[in-house]
Amino acid sequence: MEKVFFLIFAAVAVGSALAVVTLKNPVHSALALIACLLQVASVFVLLRSPFLAVVQVFIYVGAVMVLFLFVVMVLDIRQARMEAFPQKERWFVYAIVPVITVELLTVILGKGFPRLGPGSTEATTVEVLGKALFTEYLFPFEVVSVLLLAAMVGAIIMVKKRWD
Amino acid sequence: MRDSRIETVKVKSLESGVRWILKRTFFVDFIKGLMVTLGYNLSKGVTLRYPDEEKWIPYRRFRGVHTLNRDLDGRELCVACELCVKACPTRCITVVPMEDSTGKGISDRVAGVWKVDLVRCLFCGYCEDACPTTAVRLGRGYERACFDLSSAVLDKEKLLLPEEVPPDLDGGVIVAASFERTGAGMKVNADFTKLKGDWLKMQG
Amino acid sequence: MFETTVEVIIICIKVGVAGMVLFSLPIPLTWVERKVAGHIQVRLGPFRVGPHGILQPVADMVKMLLKEDVIPTKADKWLFMLAPIMTMVPAFAVFVAIPVGDKFTLPFIGKDITLYMSDMNVAVVYILAVSGLSIYGIIFGGWASNSKYAVMGGLRSAAQMISYEVAMSFAAVGVVMLSNSLSLVEIVKSQSGGLFHWNFLYLPVGPVWFMIFFIAGLAEVNRIPFDLPEDEGSLAAGYHVEYSGMRFAFFMLAEYIAMVTISVLAVIFFLGGWDDPTGVIPLPPILWFVGKVAAFIYLFMWIRFTLPRYRYDQLMTIGWKILIPVSLVCVLVTGLMRI
Repeated sequence: MEKVFFLIFAAVAVGSALAVVTLKNPVHSALALIACLLQVASVFVLLRSPFLAVVQVFIYVGAVMVLFLFVVMVLDIRQARMEAFPQKERWFVYAIVPVITVELLTVILGKGFPRLGPGSTEATTVEVLGKALFTEYLFPFEVVSVLLLAAMVGAIIMVKKRWD
Repeated sequence: MRDSRIETVKVKSLESGVRWILKRTFFVDFIKGLMVTLGYNLSKGVTLRYPDEEKWIPYRRFRGVHTLNRDLDGRELCVACELCVKACPTRCITVVPMEDSTGKGISDRVAGVWKVDLVRCLFCGYCEDACPTTAVRLGRGYERACFDLSSAVLDKEKLLLPEEVPPDLDGGVIVAASFERTGAGMKVNADFTKLKGDWLKMQG
Repeated sequence: MFETTVEVIIICIKVGVAGMVLFSLPIPLTWVERKVAGHIQVRLGPFRVGPHGILQPVADMVKMLLKEDVIPTKADKWLFMLAPIMTMVPAFAVFVAIPVGDKFTLPFIGKDITLYMSDMNVAVVYILAVSGLSIYGIIFGGWASNSKYAVMGGLRSAAQMISYEVAMSFAAVGVVMLSNSLSLVEIVKSQSGGLFHWNFLYLPVGPVWFMIFFIAGLAEVNRIPFDLPEDEGSLAAGYHVEYSGMRFAFFMLAEYIAMVTISVLAVIFFLGGWDDPTGVIPLPPILWFVGKVAAFIYLFMWIRFTLPRYRYDQLMTIGWKILIPVSLVCVLVTGLMRI
């Protein structure tokens, strides 16, 4: 049962991810990306981590994509549509894709991921997650915070007009 | 660079500053506004439910549809002098005099035809002023909506009928009414015995 | 096996009932809104269809169904048709996690029935996440209409939603800190025991959290004074200016359901859910719940006909310069109080 659902979600996720890069209209691409992120959230539910699923929807679908759309909507989409999709001058992008595929496959088939047993349900409650984040992984957490802060400050400085 | 859009407040004294802050912290103006609308919400509406339930009766001075009057003996006051025709700025009155010795009118000259075209009439009341015998008076009828214009021309027979509003009823009141729509047309049936209140008082 | 079947049947019945109630709820609500509007403006409101105009929404619905469904020639057809549904689905999906009562025992059978579809342990985040999704219908609807007013409405809606979602989430954080749980049933249970246990009266931060939540909620559901996406004065009707007939009705439906959602959340978060404030009045809990929600809905309508619309920069000022700093301070104070 779970496998069937996983296959459905995965298929839709991959399909919509392909649609993101192939659709000509950026707004349609954004819609496909939203669908893709929602499917990933469902996969998180199948992995018994509802919190991550909900946060995925909350942050990515609810906030990040709205900002994306905000920017895309003020673009001139007619110009964006004019550009042919397989852009010939970016051939190296297509060269990278098989490399990454091969790399991923070797990792997956060679070593595999550590298997989590079905008994890992408790491991994903908010309480456990929070404790892990603020004790065991406190240093990475803070580093990420500083990184985000730096990005934010950088964005503000870039947008800010010069002082009169 | 000052952002001019942000409200700048000049604090005159510490007390007024504290009051300003408290006012915003506890949403004082907001609550005051809400109380005003709540008061209106609970008050009675002033809508006149005409023609379904209520109808306003005009004052006696109202200039509505014309009436032709009779004296106390029941004789027609109109002597067909045609002064109203002359006075009328829109020429909507037609009078054709007729000799009559049967005592129908107060003299031997009566109106054979007395028509008024209400589509053209502007209810100025000049005909009233011109009339030497107080035969034509502007009455209190005002419901003249109709489906075809032929019914907007009133002739003598209709004008001589007594008015719908009883003459002893003072104006400016609201009476119960009901709306009737039949194949022949629309009609507002007012019940002049059921007074629902004074118009001016209802306006507060 | 038998147990599972029964559970599945019960869930189906719950979904059916909730769906029916939610679909039919806007019908009386439009009538109430117009009546409240009328009386506040010293008018009567709808009066001619049925006694006191009570059948007016039915007449409106028939009108909506019979109207022509116009799709502008240059609109993005599929997106245009999809957008109303995209607003409506999240509005309904939120109610999966919303409890309307604890549980009651069926007579004769003696089986306990819970008055919620699922008691998720992440319900608060789920509701915030899913209710935020209905913004896409507005954005895509506005964009797909190929009309500048509609696009402006969609853009405003996006900016407004981003700004107020932060304050709203902070308010939810405050509630979670006060109640120590992310599950709505637990949040209500933590407030049981009368008026003074309610989060609203957890002095001094309770009322502040409540006001932050309430103001952000008003902005989230695009009600006056924050209804800039459909500002009649300057944008005609904003994002739904090109919509007609049933598609327009879907937008209205979603808007009313969103209003109900915010009312329900405010009641659950701050006013004790189905808790009896006095502890002596023997009313069934569900009635307390419905009563509180109804009072909130009235408040929404009352405010709508009291306040004028904010200017766009005022809206942003309230969101970023007042609500978010205040909620940051409040997180600190609440944290200190809960240690």
